[in-house]
Amino acid sequence: MPPSDRTLFYEFKKGLLLENPVAVMLLGMCSSLAVTNQIKNSLAMGLAVVFVTIASSALVSMVRKLVPGGVRIATYIVIISGFVTLADLFFKAFFPDISKTLGPYVPLIVVNCIIMARAEVFAAKHPVAASVADAVGMGVGYTWVLLVIGAIREVLGSGSIFGLAILSENVFKPWVVMVLPPGAFLTLGFLIGFINYIKSRKEGIE
Amino acid sequence: MAEEEKNVGGLVISSSPHLLTGENVPKIMYSVVAALLPVCSVSVYFFGLHALILIAVSTVSSVGAEYLIQRFMGRPVKAWDGSAAVTGILLALTLPPRFSIFGVVLGSVFAIVVAKQIFGGLGYNIFNPALLGRAFLQAAYPVFITAWTEPFRGFFQVDAVSAATPLALMKFEGIITPRLNLLFGNVAGSLGETSALAILAGGLYLRYKGYVNWKLPMGFLLSIAFFGGIFWVVDPLKYPDPLFHILSGGAMLGAWFMVTDMVTTPTTLKGQWLFSVAAGAITILIRLFGGLPEGVMYSILLMNSLVPLLNRWTRPKVFGEGLA
Amino acid sequence: MSASKPGSMIVVLTVTSVVVGGLLAGFFHLVQPRIEENRIAEERRAIFAVLPGSERYDTIEKEIPTVKGKNEAVRIFKGLDKEGGTVGYAFIAQGAGFQGTIKMMVGLNAGSKKLFGMNVLDQVETPGLGNKISEERFTGQFKNLSIEPRIEYLKNKNPEKPNEVQAVTGATISSRAVVNGINNRVKTILGILASGEREG
Repeated sequence: MPPSDRTLFYEFKKGLLLENPVAVMLLGMCSSLAVTNQIKNSLAMGLAVVFVTIASSALVSMVRKLVPGGVRIATYIVIISGFVTLADLFFKAFFPDISKTLGPYVPLIVVNCIIMARAEVFAAKHPVAASVADAVGMGVGYTWVLLVIGAIREVLGSGSIFGLAILSENVFKPWVVMVLPPGAFLTLGFLIGFINYIKSRKEGIE
Repeated sequence: MAEEEKNVGGLVISSSPHLLTGENVPKIMYSVVAALLPVCSVSVYFFGLHALILIAVSTVSSVGAEYLIQRFMGRPVKAWDGSAAVTGILLALTLPPRFSIFGVVLGSVFAIVVAKQIFGGLGYNIFNPALLGRAFLQAAYPVFITAWTEPFRGFFQVDAVSAATPLALMKFEGIITPRLNLLFGNVAGSLGETSALAILAGGLYLRYKGYVNWKLPMGFLLSIAFFGGIFWVVDPLKYPDPLFHILSGGAMLGAWFMVTDMVTTPTTLKGQWLFSVAAGAITILIRLFGGLPEGVMYSILLMNSLVPLLNRWTRPKVFGEGLA
Repeated sequence: MSASKPGSMIVVLTVTSVVVGGLLAGFFHLVQPRIEENRIAEERRAIFAVLPGSERYDTIEKEIPTVKGKNEAVRIFKGLDKEGGTVGYAFIAQGAGFQGTIKMMVGLNAGSKKLFGMNVLDQVETPGLGNKISEERFTGQFKNLSIEPRIEYLKNKNPEKPNEVQAVTGATISSRAVVNGINNRVKTILGILASGEREG
């Protein structure tokens, strides 16, 4: 598929829903389940992934003609882990609280399959502009799914949003299960089901 | 899925429970409801009006949830076949007497929608819906689900007094409740688990009707007695005796109404023995060494997940196949 | 992609690693002071929170033998007020909780054998249940709590004696871990302090 066929906007848009990394391609499950018990953590994680995806996709695309096939994966990993470490140090220095709650999941972005997949599947074969558009779309697609899961889990599990109590304990007793791992699986399952439902409705109409 | 299901005179033919009798689903399910009536009456007698409300709300919301979700998913509406009602009653019977009305609605909706219909409805569900509903409530409201109260605090329960269950007393305080109280049920505990006698009456009725395979409850209870007994023999001062294990907690209710669930237990003879014995062993393990005082719910759920494997392993050999 | 020469493969990988490594080293140098600052600020905050009235602190490090025969480094933070008088001693205690280790910062008044207070630093207890041990309702009970003969916890009962706290409802294991962790550490710390006085 020659890249000229598709507009940059298309490359951006596809990551939002059609090829959403979490909800459709089921990539990056570990982090999207683990850090989404609060919307604040979802946001921080999402932004870190957006940054790393854009930076590494851009760089991989730039050097794609210089890197020999035999060491391309190794090179991508070096590049990605460089940016991940950068993001990790940044959080540690400027947002120590968030860094503490995200724990090992920031360094683990290195092995987040979304970034590796975009580098290998897309950035290695497309020019820089298209790769960045793709990376932004994927990053934003990842982030909004995390935000939705985080919002649902925080409201139901803690009765708050962004740490602000919105539901009084007398009206609504928070479901502890939602901030525990099972809550993440349940929420993600329902979300994927809902997105599939919407997609099937859309395809049915077209 | 729709083409796989053939509706022959109210009898739904589906994969797992192959009943070669003239029975149909509603008849069996309403017999189970009838068998649960003594347990329900006893729990209302012990725990008052709120027990009645919980059981009623749970039943109504289970049937309602089943009706709505079947309409929404475009499946044939079989909400009145009694299976949802059984789930609702069983769920309520596993809850503490002062549980909130909203909580029981949440649990029954979860049991029907997530545990039953998302898996494909009656016959396709891997886990016992009532138990999964309770597991969800346990995880969602860990404090309220262990808020037990004393029996006989008047019909309106205005002066409910908090109390520990016999198993919690055993585990955390080392106090053994008298057998006779466990048998009749005037102890603290879930609505329907306290009276061993009432459960036994319902279980024997189902046995008489032929809807309960005696091997499952027997295997489960004997296994609890056996494994509990081993520890009791080793150190009778530290561990309770087998009879206490059988009569306390959810052992009786689980044995007669959950281990016997046709959908979520193995179909082969060997599989049924394996299932019930392993569930009993896990129950004892959780009771004596786990973080929780009671283990019936998790042990049955855990074994539920192994049922497809058990069915495979223990499938009878086709005649003429293999050397044995 | 065509088969590539081993030479170019080595060159590309080496260059990438050196460039990325160099950039990271540079960035690390840039932010390292801030990270260290954050760590110290957090430690100060935690210590001053349990040693009210102190302006600065000295760190005492002491090697003590453990049961397993190895030595363990214990850090005691001696809180000092404006005039340089000793306010009390802060130390980190640990207990085995329901799901992992619970770390507490404890402030001790060695003279009156009472606690100034306690804060939970790290815990992974069940949210909404065990993690209530880090809430003021639980930790507040450790203010002016007597450590003699040892701290005791009660279930569903209000404390009556000066050495009793009420466990978090439904989270006895977490509460017990905190109490036991503090009890054990207090003993060690008092031992160290006593031997220090004899030496000095």
